[in-house]
Amino acid sequence: MKATSLSASELLFPLQYRGKALSLLLLQPQRRLHVREIARLTGTVAGTMNKELDRLQRAGLLEKHRVGNQLQYCANQQHPVFPELSALLRKTIGLADVLALALMPVADRITVAFVFGSVARSSDTAASDVDVIIIGRVDFGEAVNLLYEAQATLQREINPKIFANDEWQAKLAAKSSFILDVLSKPKLFLIGAQRDLDQLDQSDQDRTA
Amino acid sequence: MISINLTNLTKIGQLDPVPWSADLVKRMLATAKQRLRDAELAQNSDETRFDCAYTTIRAVADIGLHLHGLRTSTSKPGHHQTAIQCLVHTLGVDAATVRVLDGLRKQRNLADYDGELVTDAALNECLNQAKAMVTRVELILRDHPDLGA
Repeated sequence: MKATSLSASELLFPLQYRGKALSLLLLQPQRRLHVREIARLTGTVAGTMNKELDRLQRAGLLEKHRVGNQLQYCANQQHPVFPELSALLRKTIGLADVLALALMPVADRITVAFVFGSVARSSDTAASDVDVIIIGRVDFGEAVNLLYEAQATLQREINPKIFANDEWQAKLAAKSSFILDVLSKPKLFLIGAQRDLDQLDQSDQDRTA
Repeated sequence: MISINLTNLTKIGQLDPVPWSADLVKRMLATAKQRLRDAELAQNSDETRFDCAYTTIRAVADIGLHLHGLRTSTSKPGHHQTAIQCLVHTLGVDAATVRVLDGLRKQRNLADYDGELVTDAALNECLNQAKAMVTRVELILRDHPDLGA
């Protein structure tokens, strides 16, 4: 994230893992997710995330459910501060979180998604469009409608650019100037992280598009 | 993003009244269908195919306005956007689809002016929407033989 200006959410949640876990789970309190899913969706390391989830659960902010041999976490909506904390998260989380949240319904079909262009470079103005690249199995129309509400929340136009995994790899192999340019410039990851993007570069067979 | 009322748009000069011309509608429909055929030619570049499919969508949107005795004033900026957003009123296109069509319009601007590449997802969506738009307007014209178009 930006190092130059500290956002309210960065100030209030200096522990990156805590802020990410809380915004993911408290803003969708009906969702139960297991540790690996949470780590993947937030672009974090499962082991470290597991420790943070455990702490949040012991504080009563999260509930833990054992389903088969899986541990799943969700928000504890009965906690006395749940309404205030989720309102605080909703109001302070940044643009990236709003976008990531909007893409959640199709997150399992996304290998990696990130903001590029002026917003990612922090050289945007209030009128700048938000350019988003989504790599995975998502339809253009589906993405436009998922991002529509975020557009209203952020008061910005959002332009999604969608690539299937193999299309991204083929265009990268063909040294597409657009893709090389995107790779060389700052990115704000919404789903997945740099290593997911690197992996696409290295292996064609690892993941299915 | 906001609901658009055809009368209000005419008042602020975004839309102009035009006399009905069955001949013009025929020509606009022929353009829409020719561009769609061009868009379907796989030997064309993705950028050309996308541009042709987008032109089909816009031509049908213009037919929709003409059916209501209107056209966009090209002297005003954003006349593509106006024609597309009016589809809710002119041809009864649902709001979710109009959002997608408007998204395609933005992609077309990015491809034309910022040199961004056209992805398979954008091209496929544009082709499918263009086909659906031609089918939609042909059905409407067939149901109204009195229009003579």
